[in-house]
Amino acid sequence: MSDFLINWIANVPVTAVPYALAALGLIISERSGVLNLTAEGLMLIGALAGAGSCLVLGGYPAVALLVAMAAASIVSLLFVFLVVVLRINQVIAGLSIVFFCQGLTGLIGTLAKWQNRQLTGLGNLKIWPPSDIPVIGRIFFMQDPVVYLTILIFFVVNFVLFRTMLGLRIRAVGENPAASDAAGVSVTLHRTLAIVVGSSLIGLAGGYISVVSVKLWVTGMVGGRGWIAVALVVFARWAPWPALWGALLFGCIEALIPHVAAAGIRVPQYLMLMAPYLATIAVMIWVGAKDNRGSQEPGALGQPHVREERR
Amino acid sequence: MTLALQLVGIRKSFDGVLALDGASFESRAGEVHALLGENGAGKSSLMNVAAGLYAPDAGSILVNGVTASLSGPADARQHGIGMVHQHFKLVKPFTVAENILLANRRPHFSSGIKDIRAAIRKQADELKFDIDPDRQVDTLTLAEQQQVEIVKVLVGGANILILDEPTAVLTDTESEGLLEIVRRLALSGAAVVLVTHKLHEVKRCADTVTIMRGGKTVARLDPRLASADKLTELTVGQTVPLPPRTRHQGGPTRLNVGALTYARGDGRVMLNHTSFHVCAGEIYGIAGVSGNGQAELAEALIGAIEPASGEIWVDSAGDISCANNDRRREAAIAAIPADRYAYALAGGLSLADNFAIAHIRSGRYGGATLVNRSAMRREAVAAIKDYDVQGARSVNQKASLLSGGNAQKLVIAREFSREPNVVVAHSPSRGLDARACAAIHQRLIAARERGAAIVLISEDLDEVLGLSDRIGVMTRGVIVSEFERPADRQAIGRAMVDHA
Amino acid sequence: MHDLPRQAVSPPTVVSAPASRHFGRITLDVRQDLSQWKQAVFVGGSLILGLAVSVAILAVAGISPVTLGTELADVLNAESLRGVLVQAAPLILVGLGASLAFKIGFWNLGLEGQMILGGIFAAAISIYDIGPPSTRLLMMGSAAAVGGALWVLLVALLKIRFRVNEIIATLLLNYVAMYFLFHLLYGAWQDAKTAFPQSSPFRPFERLTDVGYGINSGLIIAVAGVLVAGWLVHLSRIGFYARFISANPRMAKIVGVPVQAMTVCIIAASGACAGLAGFVNVASQEGRLTQSFANGYVFSGVLIAFLSRNDPIVVAVVGFLIAMLFITGQTLQVFYQIPFTMVQLIEAIIVMAVASSEFFIRHRIRWIR
Repeated sequence: MSDFLINWIANVPVTAVPYALAALGLIISERSGVLNLTAEGLMLIGALAGAGSCLVLGGYPAVALLVAMAAASIVSLLFVFLVVVLRINQVIAGLSIVFFCQGLTGLIGTLAKWQNRQLTGLGNLKIWPPSDIPVIGRIFFMQDPVVYLTILIFFVVNFVLFRTMLGLRIRAVGENPAASDAAGVSVTLHRTLAIVVGSSLIGLAGGYISVVSVKLWVTGMVGGRGWIAVALVVFARWAPWPALWGALLFGCIEALIPHVAAAGIRVPQYLMLMAPYLATIAVMIWVGAKDNRGSQEPGALGQPHVREERR
Repeated sequence: MTLALQLVGIRKSFDGVLALDGASFESRAGEVHALLGENGAGKSSLMNVAAGLYAPDAGSILVNGVTASLSGPADARQHGIGMVHQHFKLVKPFTVAENILLANRRPHFSSGIKDIRAAIRKQADELKFDIDPDRQVDTLTLAEQQQVEIVKVLVGGANILILDEPTAVLTDTESEGLLEIVRRLALSGAAVVLVTHKLHEVKRCADTVTIMRGGKTVARLDPRLASADKLTELTVGQTVPLPPRTRHQGGPTRLNVGALTYARGDGRVMLNHTSFHVCAGEIYGIAGVSGNGQAELAEALIGAIEPASGEIWVDSAGDISCANNDRRREAAIAAIPADRYAYALAGGLSLADNFAIAHIRSGRYGGATLVNRSAMRREAVAAIKDYDVQGARSVNQKASLLSGGNAQKLVIAREFSREPNVVVAHSPSRGLDARACAAIHQRLIAARERGAAIVLISEDLDEVLGLSDRIGVMTRGVIVSEFERPADRQAIGRAMVDHA
Repeated sequence: MHDLPRQAVSPPTVVSAPASRHFGRITLDVRQDLSQWKQAVFVGGSLILGLAVSVAILAVAGISPVTLGTELADVLNAESLRGVLVQAAPLILVGLGASLAFKIGFWNLGLEGQMILGGIFAAAISIYDIGPPSTRLLMMGSAAAVGGALWVLLVALLKIRFRVNEIIATLLLNYVAMYFLFHLLYGAWQDAKTAFPQSSPFRPFERLTDVGYGINSGLIIAVAGVLVAGWLVHLSRIGFYARFISANPRMAKIVGVPVQAMTVCIIAASGACAGLAGFVNVASQEGRLTQSFANGYVFSGVLIAFLSRNDPIVVAVVGFLIAMLFITGQTLQVFYQIPFTMVQLIEAIIVMAVASSEFFIRHRIRWIR
């Protein structure tokens, strides 16, 4: 039994990282006032790009992750064009990007024959000496580098968003673009920046899934995690650290699934696979039930900015 | 005295609609220059050009004699132009210091905040403001927020200060204070522009006044020499007198509001056992500084929100405070909300649709299976002619095409087509020019003559004083005192402030 | 994001974005009004642009425009036309479902899940042999409609009671429905005779057959749906109310429109359409419950609704065109090994292109010196 627990918990960071990074990326762009539904699509782009890079270069997982980030950032420019320049409805734009990415990654993945091919993956770091401690060592000090990098990224993003001028400007743009514009802050520039930087994190999340976690590419392998990340952002009230806790929660649920079967507990396989999605809905219900103080969302979320208002 | 700011021949149009037609304006340092005109005359647009928010189609801007091409608000700030807008440009969840830091960039955040705090203290002391830099902006009153806005532009080094309708949200006392500050700022060497539609402000503290009408600058005078009548005539053109009104006879109570309570989502109590009653053939005006529950009261009366407790009793239908829509419709309450496009009109739908929605349930335009479009259109055309709604070529055009005044007339046309017993009007003439205002007021008085009970909630004390038979002063969610016509403005002002 | 921000119609606004001082300024005016014809021109132009981009991508993928052209033309000959019409039926129904929901501001993205539930409920009638043969098809169809409606009403209730965001909830339920389908097809309902994850074939009287001239009865259901929806939207009082609910829900409530009741009814109808689409799919094309019968319908529904501006009559036409796209996609998959996800890619490009045309419809670009 304790083996089961240890195995499960040790695996949680691996399953939690994609949720955490994707949610953080979404938070960054939504803090600037852009309703961002592109996570599922950009994670697929990251996953494909990472896998493709590994296959083409014959390894180099770190490079693959950087490629994943870059690819997602580039595709996010299309989203930037749609919502910041053309100012079209952000829901439609986000959905279109997701299905665009689903179609594109399916197409490229199949044509380039990258499906189902084993990737080298990324070895775990051993932080010695704590890694030798029996239970805790395995869980906390023997994860792959990206897990530790994720925690670092959270610290950095939190600092930038709340204790720098740049973060102040981004948040201002998200709360009240008219006021920011009158204050001389470029709404366009900051939204673009927030979206691109956020998307690079989302791409990293996707790249992590294919390169480090599962170690191969399959069409549609992100399997809805992007949508769960979108829900997590609401759950976390657009704040970084609660998003991390939420990601851990979902990591626990997702990590549980293969271990339940391995532990010999008999649950119908497909019903178990429903768990993360049902859990997400449950979380959304819980948030809705207890949140009667009014929304915490950035004041101008979802509204395209136009400079002049003639009243 | 040098010309600090010059606007020459400014033209600006919005999709073919001309807002500014060759307007010109000059402002000198050390002088308070009032820009007078009614709503829609173009004052705000002209100043928005000066502040870098609008790009003029033609014309030039000169700062201290040098031609400047302003690429945006930041550029204007660098030229020393600072504007305090009518609708404050503050980020509500941020603190005062963060807001001012946003507008006045510093290289680093933590040192910047310290720097800004010191700068705020310095300015606030000079102007005798009491501002705590670390308070969140949405916890401040409107007057305090305005002080923040003023400090914001001063910290930015502005020496050309533009104040757009600053007294719109202030009590009489607070307005006095503000005008004092305006004079003091001019004395200290700034060029101050005061945009307003209130004559008494111009008379009180302006050295010069430029009058705008219809997008043009029509005159420039010394207000101390010109008579009030002359100024009014230049601003408004021909005034339209209000129709005569009979003395209020006293009829049966048509509307009784009893102990309404309501709290906002964030916990703040907006209606605190609000109670009053209105008789047939009476206009009951509710005066008060905005933010004391008037908006919530209006919303509760028209059915947009449900009060937590209390009753809204209407003669024909009983208590409708928690009624579903059917009972409300029976009650035949006419609703004229403050924000037309939020509650009263669907901008994306046609005029005919917006007019017909009032009657569609009653079957006047056909049964549930087939809607009689042509009947709808016919009646809409008739109503539009009757109420002089201009600006649309056909009733099939979208309602968002209409200007403020005409949109309001459409709303009234629809609401009054049901011969209401009770009328709820919330800031009915907000944003309208004098002619439209007068038209609206005429309609309200006509309804009063017909025996309707009218609740008039307005932040414009002049409007309330001019129309009401009785006035209730609303502070902190409750009616604290009532006055009969003719009411003493000073007494009302005191009542508004004393309980604040 | 509990309640997705509505994009309200605002008073005229202007955007000023200086390109550079030396080259004067680009200014964007918001238009007050634009005639239908000109709007159609912009939409048509953007559509052509989108298609051109898609053709370019296909060319890179190895399909030359010539090949594409011949395949597309082939689709229109008598034989393939029959296939297109069969494919059109579920697409039209899904398009109707999407457009009804979008019309009142409910982002029903759970069309796939609702199709699946519809298929499951219909198959259940078959598997458990409920009702006499003469009414079997009717029962299956009704059950499918109920199944789809229930699946979406679940989300509608959550939205009303807990302000749950329906975009995410309906999408997540797609996955739940999919796994439920797998659970059935790999388990209790698996056809014993084959080893595949599919149900036993439906009996002959449980199939939607052709009624002559190559027209499948599924198409008749779809057309009936279009007519009912068209009446509802254009002629009935409900349609009038629905326009207000979508244009200004707060006002609708004040003016006396029974907003909540109407919204729930229309959402249920939306789910029912999608459920019917599932029924039509399994009862006509497949003849049994399979694991992938609902693939690709979510975005197709969104696309059809979007291109038809939520008008039921136009949905029929656009649905037919998308059916052509589907059939072409299947051909490309079989003969040229282009994965079917390419269809999704093209659909996304088309939506982005048409959405972009909104920008040009709403703004006029001017040059100021």
